[in-house]
Amino acid sequence: MIFLAAHVWDTTPFVPQSPSPSVRPVLQPPERRPRFRAAAVAIDSLWRPAAPLTSRPPAMAVLAAALLAWLSTGTRLARPQSDLELLEEQAIQAAAEHVAPAVVSIETVGGLERLGQVLLSSGPTTGLIVSPEGYIVSSAFGFASKPASILAILADGTRLPARLVATDHNRMLVLLKVETDQPLATVQPVPEEEMQVGQWAIALGRTYEGGQPNVSVGIVSATQRIWGKAVQTDAKVSPANYGGPLVDIRGRVLGVLVPLSPMHSGQMAGVEWYDSGIGFAVPLVQVLQVLPRLQQGQDLYPGVMGISLSTERLHSSPAVIAACVPNSPAYKAGLRPGDRIIEVDGRPIERQVQLLNEVHRRYAGDVLSLAVQRGEQRLEFQVELVREIPPYQRPFLGILPRREADGASSGVTVRYVYPDSPAAAADIQPADRLVLLEGKPLTNAEDLALRLSSFEVGSRLRLAVERGHEVRQLELVLAAEPENIPPELPPARDALPLPPERPARGPLPLKIPEFQQECLLYVPESYDPRFRYGLAVWLHGPGGFQEEALLARWQRACADHDLILVAPRALDPNQWGRADLEFIRKVLDEVRSRYSIDPLRVAAHGYQTGGAMAYVLAFNLRDLIRGVAAVDAPLPLPPPENDPLQRLTVLLTTARASTYARQIDAAISALRARKYSVTVLDQGDQARYLSDDEFSQLLRWLDSLDRI
Amino acid sequence: MVSAGLSLAVAVCLMAWLSASAAFAGSAPGSLAEVAAAVQPKVVKIFGAGGYRGLEHYQSGFLISPDGDVLTVWSYVLDTDSIQVVLHDGRALAARVVGVDPRLEVALLKIEAQGLDHFDLDAAERASVGARVLAFSNLYGVATGDEPASVQHGVVSAVTRLEARRGVFETPYRGPVYVLDAITNNPGAAGGALTDRRGRLLGMLGKELRNAQTNTWLNYAVPVDVLREVLPQLREGRVVQRDVPPAISPENALNPELLGLILVPDVLERTPPFIDVVLSDSPAARAGLLPDDLVLFVNDRLVQSCKALRAELERVDRLDIVRLTVIRGQQLIEVELAAGDPTP
Repeated sequence: MIFLAAHVWDTTPFVPQSPSPSVRPVLQPPERRPRFRAAAVAIDSLWRPAAPLTSRPPAMAVLAAALLAWLSTGTRLARPQSDLELLEEQAIQAAAEHVAPAVVSIETVGGLERLGQVLLSSGPTTGLIVSPEGYIVSSAFGFASKPASILAILADGTRLPARLVATDHNRMLVLLKVETDQPLATVQPVPEEEMQVGQWAIALGRTYEGGQPNVSVGIVSATQRIWGKAVQTDAKVSPANYGGPLVDIRGRVLGVLVPLSPMHSGQMAGVEWYDSGIGFAVPLVQVLQVLPRLQQGQDLYPGVMGISLSTERLHSSPAVIAACVPNSPAYKAGLRPGDRIIEVDGRPIERQVQLLNEVHRRYAGDVLSLAVQRGEQRLEFQVELVREIPPYQRPFLGILPRREADGASSGVTVRYVYPDSPAAAADIQPADRLVLLEGKPLTNAEDLALRLSSFEVGSRLRLAVERGHEVRQLELVLAAEPENIPPELPPARDALPLPPERPARGPLPLKIPEFQQECLLYVPESYDPRFRYGLAVWLHGPGGFQEEALLARWQRACADHDLILVAPRALDPNQWGRADLEFIRKVLDEVRSRYSIDPLRVAAHGYQTGGAMAYVLAFNLRDLIRGVAAVDAPLPLPPPENDPLQRLTVLLTTARASTYARQIDAAISALRARKYSVTVLDQGDQARYLSDDEFSQLLRWLDSLDRI
Repeated sequence: MVSAGLSLAVAVCLMAWLSASAAFAGSAPGSLAEVAAAVQPKVVKIFGAGGYRGLEHYQSGFLISPDGDVLTVWSYVLDTDSIQVVLHDGRALAARVVGVDPRLEVALLKIEAQGLDHFDLDAAERASVGARVLAFSNLYGVATGDEPASVQHGVVSAVTRLEARRGVFETPYRGPVYVLDAITNNPGAAGGALTDRRGRLLGMLGKELRNAQTNTWLNYAVPVDVLREVLPQLREGRVVQRDVPPAISPENALNPELLGLILVPDVLERTPPFIDVVLSDSPAARAGLLPDDLVLFVNDRLVQSCKALRAELERVDRLDIVRLTVIRGQQLIEVELAAGDPTP
């Protein structure tokens, strides 16, 4: 996002400077430190483990069991604590030594210096051998620079050239391969069900010169983190051990250390948390599960199924599909809006977050068995996740609906028919009433818009249209949205006698508690609360705005087009910032609570910096903003995916001599690549604010945002 | 009622017993409390120059003789005529600098006092990776007067050498260190004592130091062995000078062209050092190097770019033999060659 300060790695690293508060008791060790094996035997003979051990366990298992038994009985008083301290130390060292032969150091040569503004490390990184034939897993962090050559240095110092076999873009791991005649040392994974919060966790890396891996000791802080993809530890995890193993006290591997972030993805996500008490490892069992696919050179990606859920309460709402893009695997498999997903692969889904967990931990190409509740029916589907869904393009019928008082109607009465549209081709005319869609009754324009979001451009559609007393059955093929503005528009509604009680009108100052910014609100004198009004958010250019001039331009327009105008003032009149974004959201909430606002006709309109802010506003408040009208303004951040449920339409201006000319051209391409409808007003040579004619086009564009 | 009252009484007794046992464990022989109590009198708080522009005016140190020899890090804090050493009992004594080793960044101070608790450098210990350690220092200057130094707990993360990679660490010191799994890299901690679980001296906490290659902070201590080595010179009041290997003058320094190597054009910040052309009848050609070979090591030092390769060769006298390791396909090949090779 534009307002997030870019994290510049080389100048502002996160520096953990907190003193360690944990101080453990340390007692007198025995005179001479016994050999590890001897200590284990001694313990075994002195204290019988509480639970009988089944098969002949390795020495470390005996020790661990003995320690546990010891801790759980009242023998603390009977023996000095020093034994425990010493035995713990030795068990930790033994666990590290046990895994050390499978921990390799990796050097890279050549490659990028930086990724974005992040300075990439060129230091050694760590890898973990996962097969005797020479497959090595490491963190994708060390390979963000796309190095020209990779070298693995084994525990015994042997240098072997390595090649990058495949990348797991979901868990941020890479698989490397070295050629070797000798079988390499491997490790034993800890089953996920055995991982417990509080157990010892030893992080190993091999990034310092010297024979042994570097160790950091902590505990397992949490399991099933980051959508079940990671185990969390308080051992220090940093570039010094990314790619190395997180080991349990028995010398088995819990996971592979990686920087991960619940909020972001990418090779550098989570790096800012290094050594901070929060570190992650991808469970080795999960790595081994996908190893065969990676070994075939297959890059793995997160998978999507192409449904939108209602985003209200992730942790308490059921997983009901709100929208399902037609070209998505979910739609193709037969899922439809309104279906409630109740099972994935036999596991019950009660809340949205459970479904997200199931999907996020899998890869593109994985097949999910879904059970859904549709009405009284239970239906089952197989859905194959895909890496990405082609951008969604909104289908278009070609009408503007009439606006009814209090939304009281059934069906959709046509206000205007776009020439050359599917509606025109089917001879739909103004005043016709659309009553059935695919045989089901239409309640109102919002209902029609929502139901159309499950169709795609080119889909066939059956409509029943009422003209007078005659009902016609029509079949039409949906088209793409037009990018031109209707030359003239008939009235959208009847003029009714105004009710006696109406909220405040005219120019009104608007203040939001806790915000310093000011905002001008203009509600036309003719405001009728029984109808819904468009909302235009004016975002001033550099220097702010004059209230009189603004009102002179908008007063008449608001009355003629059923519009309410809000004009916030930026904290710094010359530029918009993140604080203004929060302020505007509060302003919009306030206006929507006081006045009757049409959710389809809320648009952000701005000039230069204000135009850039209009994009930021629209991309950040996707649930509110339906249109962006940016005059002589660059696109300050890449546009998000087009979303069937959160429609967004763009109007912008171009001018050959504009400072932003090239950026605006790029913006048009970027927006159209994501299949947004972009209406372009060419201002000729010099960029400026809108002429009177252009302004009236803007008003008609605003008035047609509810097109269907 | 009766039974409830009884079980309550039992519970109270249990709690009393548990807390008594906890208290007992806390002061048991060899407990942390005891080890800390034994070490604290040997640790001192040092105050000197600084105190402005984000520079702290304090650091840590420890006693190494009964009559007031204090070992600490050499830093701007000592760059004043009024250095104060505060003992664990709150006595504040003026200290003078006896000797310094600017490369090791250690200094020996002297205070006028007798019969002080101290570490015996000759009896000092070594620790292995994974060993539990304690760090005693006045980090952040939180301790004043007779307040004891702060104790931190951790393990030895690595035993390594700072000189391993030139330019990686921004410090003049290149030598063995304990890398610590504890956040000791804090203002004021430098000069503090690193001990084992029994309170035996392992080393001196180093200055704040960042790993320039990973941009992470390094928590480390300089081992006692290294300190012991320079102590005699420090005692003699000399500024320890080390033999610096004479730099090779540019006219004697080696470069790729002298070996008959032409590298690919150096267009990137980190252009991989691929060989573009091997001049015929050159030392490189005779050693069997080929175009498209990628140079990985020069005398066992990793070179990650064309720049690094040139820099590494400049450290070699053109009359000396240089060992190059190249990667060809998926094969590592090692060759030895010298610019001055007489033509056969």
